[in-house]
Amino acid sequence: MSYYFVIIGTQDNPLFEHEFGTSKQGGDGQSRFSDEARHMNQFIAHSSLDIVEEVQWGTGQMYLKHVDRFFNSYMSCFITPSNAKFLLLHQPILPNSGSSSSGAAAGAAAVSSSRASTSIAANPTSPQTEEAVRSFFVEVYENWVKATMSPFYRVNMEVTSPVFRQRVAAAGRKYL
Amino acid sequence: MESSFDHGSPTEPLPTPPMAASSASPLNVQKTRLASVDGTPLSQSEITLPIRDRRSHPSAASLYASTLSPPGSRSQSPAGARLASRVNSGSVFGGLGSNNALALEGAGDSPGDPLNLICKAFVPHVAVYASDDTDQLLGEKGFDRGLWQLLRPFGERIQGKVIIRDSNGASRTYEDYSVHFVRFGEGLEHPEPTTGGLKKTLNGSLEKTTGGGKDEPSSRGRTLADVEAVVERHLSYAEDSAPAASQSPIATKHGLDIDVPSPYYSLYLRRLLSGLPIAPHEAFAHPVACVIAISSRNPAPIETLRNLYTQSSTGDRRLPNWVDSEYLRYYVLVHDEESDDITRSMSLFDQMKRNLGLHCHLLRIRGTQSVATDDDSIPLPTSEWMSASEELANIRRHDDQDDLEDQTRYIYESDATAIRTFVREMVTQSIIPTMERHVSVWNDQVASRRRGVAGRFLGLTRRWGFGSTSKSSSATQGSGSNYDSLGFYRQDAPEAIMRKLADYAFMLRDWKLAYSTYDILRGDFSNDKAWRYHAATNEMAAISLLMLPQNLSAKTRAETIDAMFEAAVYSYLTRCTAPYGAVRCLILGIELLRLRGGSNIDDAAKWGIRLIESKILGPVGEALIKERLAVCYASRTGLGTQQLGSRRRKSALWSILGADAWLAQSKYIPAQRCLNEARRMYGDLPTEHGIDKFERASAFMLGIGQQLNEKLEADEHGEESTVQDSDQVDEESEVLNTRGRRISTAGFPGATAPPLEASPLMSTGHGNSQEVVDVQGPTDDFG
Repeated sequence: MSYYFVIIGTQDNPLFEHEFGTSKQGGDGQSRFSDEARHMNQFIAHSSLDIVEEVQWGTGQMYLKHVDRFFNSYMSCFITPSNAKFLLLHQPILPNSGSSSSGAAAGAAAVSSSRASTSIAANPTSPQTEEAVRSFFVEVYENWVKATMSPFYRVNMEVTSPVFRQRVAAAGRKYL
Repeated sequence: MESSFDHGSPTEPLPTPPMAASSASPLNVQKTRLASVDGTPLSQSEITLPIRDRRSHPSAASLYASTLSPPGSRSQSPAGARLASRVNSGSVFGGLGSNNALALEGAGDSPGDPLNLICKAFVPHVAVYASDDTDQLLGEKGFDRGLWQLLRPFGERIQGKVIIRDSNGASRTYEDYSVHFVRFGEGLEHPEPTTGGLKKTLNGSLEKTTGGGKDEPSSRGRTLADVEAVVERHLSYAEDSAPAASQSPIATKHGLDIDVPSPYYSLYLRRLLSGLPIAPHEAFAHPVACVIAISSRNPAPIETLRNLYTQSSTGDRRLPNWVDSEYLRYYVLVHDEESDDITRSMSLFDQMKRNLGLHCHLLRIRGTQSVATDDDSIPLPTSEWMSASEELANIRRHDDQDDLEDQTRYIYESDATAIRTFVREMVTQSIIPTMERHVSVWNDQVASRRRGVAGRFLGLTRRWGFGSTSKSSSATQGSGSNYDSLGFYRQDAPEAIMRKLADYAFMLRDWKLAYSTYDILRGDFSNDKAWRYHAATNEMAAISLLMLPQNLSAKTRAETIDAMFEAAVYSYLTRCTAPYGAVRCLILGIELLRLRGGSNIDDAAKWGIRLIESKILGPVGEALIKERLAVCYASRTGLGTQQLGSRRRKSALWSILGADAWLAQSKYIPAQRCLNEARRMYGDLPTEHGIDKFERASAFMLGIGQQLNEKLEADEHGEESTVQDSDQVDEESEVLNTRGRRISTAGFPGATAPPLEASPLMSTGHGNSQEVVDVQGPTDDFG
């Protein structure tokens, strides 16, 4: 169970990237993307902007929920008033084929957790997951506003603040 | 004309070339090439390049002509007239959410167009059953596979208009109708639980008549592998021959050409759809008519005809009992103009008409072999619809024997005219009316009972055994189900007849009737647990619904079409292990959804992903589908200057995946093409940076590009050494050559965003790849 979180600016430029794993159900908070998945994540995140740009006009909410899916990667989106897009790529471990990218122990944990239908890790489209992701996004948004209110920040600048990264990681641990 | 390497040319003298894919006249070829290369001095030599490629001899090129000829060239001369009615079909691809019913009307005229392919794949099959003396006559004419071989190319386009009346009595005119000629009794596919004895005897009898029976696909899984292999051969041939020549037709005017699919994809599709076996669960390949032929040499003509008839209906050549044996018999007397007496043949023909009814024809052909140097000889076009295994066999045979034997056969112009007239007459006067009659009879007698509320009850009561009296004619099983324990419905079961009705309606392009019939059948088959039938019916129901020129709301789509595809795919894959069916179903679905535009495209992509996910495709097929999905997404156009709602990023992503897949198979040309597409797509995005701010992604793209450059570079060096001895022009223009090639791989000048792309690509011409990285790194759009 791995997450890839990216904030994308108005010109399709990533402002902040962070990878983490689930901390629920005995997860250690480490992401388990394979090497080829890393660049694919970026491609996938970028390509789902197409969908985001369409969906954003159809709702008044900032949280667009689950917008896109690419094979086993599920994409949720949150869009801020300044048109920064928070994208969360959510990759549940497939019960049979996930072991290639993760350790045996984690694989076993994922298998056992995927049985529990309410677990957010196994069900990327369930209402529980949706709520958890919303809480995550809202918390990140709060920190994002604080971070970008810095007088030295201009639009579309990458955010390098270690504090911000820490806070995102904490939110991830807390909700996902 | 003497050498067949000028792909495309051979059919020019034919007024209506049946070979549509490569029917461009030589002039035409030259024109497209020249236009696309934009006056590069090399363009001239490109045309002749195939002559000196490595494995080249002329006949090799003719084998691969279907992918070498530029896909953009639509059939020109004969098509002029028939374009008139569908001028507006071009506008289809625009418009968000337009469901472009119009496009579906006129089955686009480009030969590789998927819609066109679908229309031409599911056409009446006409079996050819000729007497020995006819085969002998044809053998002397140079056709060792008999009358069938001579007739086949002419069935692929019927000359002139064909008028078909649909179930409501409205007549519609088609100018691109076709039939497939097959050899009688060939390509039988038996239902799975068939008894051993039956299968063995039938196969045994087949083998001795078809000469080894090598040509027939043993099972459908095999077909899929054959299709892959054929396309693979074509690709490798393109790799091996001079790259510039083979890719120039592909890199068309402006990047991804959404109207014309890549030649390899259409080849894949065509081979997938050709050579449909005679299977119990669908009636497309069941013979609609059988040409029974004798020649004028026959000493006892009427007896022979009777014998042939008996053999085909009751004798050992009889088709199994799930094939309706009541198909039309069409009697043909082949008259040899040169050695036989016409008055005798005429009187014999009159006798035939008296004895056998009106379905007769006197075919007058010259009995001697025609060669290329004859005045009025024209090459017999290769059949566009030969099955994958057959083409594979051709290629293999060609590889094995290295002599310069040319496979092209020639016939006299007069013969071609005679055959064309014959085919036209047979189709318009016998086959179509017979089919129409069958459709209306079956529709009245069998299908209409099942329509409406009462019909649905009938279905239920029959199931529970109350209504079994009304079906006494076919009640073979006590349980109330007509589904034979052997795994098929007998030919006289109402289900089988309705399936035939629906298939006939489909072949006559009456999509509405076809859909409503398939829709009834779906439930029946699922109740009987006839899964293969169930899958095939769901597939065709979805396809005929998509062919219907009517708008579909997103809701119908989700409720009906998706459900049908889902059922079809699940049944094919899980219940019957028939990957061929699943692939065919999904690919056709993707194409038809794509043509409808708008949000249908997302649906198409969803099924495409499903197809890839199911892992039933081979590497070639998978790469082709990835490439196709890029086209699919690209064909969704957005609104306004920002093109909101377009799917360009998605398209680019699939192009990248395609490039990666091709690269893994060392198919550098298509890989390069995909990569260029991706770069162009990313470059066209309204945002400042394409993907280049994403470090890993752009590094990955760069990596692919670099590998490709290295490979193509290596290829080039290898080639230089082999080409060294060829001719002077090459050596002089070496630098130019590399540049020209790079440019042509990058898409042509004017087709791309020039400053971004041209510079690194040109620099690779004379620099090594290390340097390229440095040049590209900081400044480039695509990194």
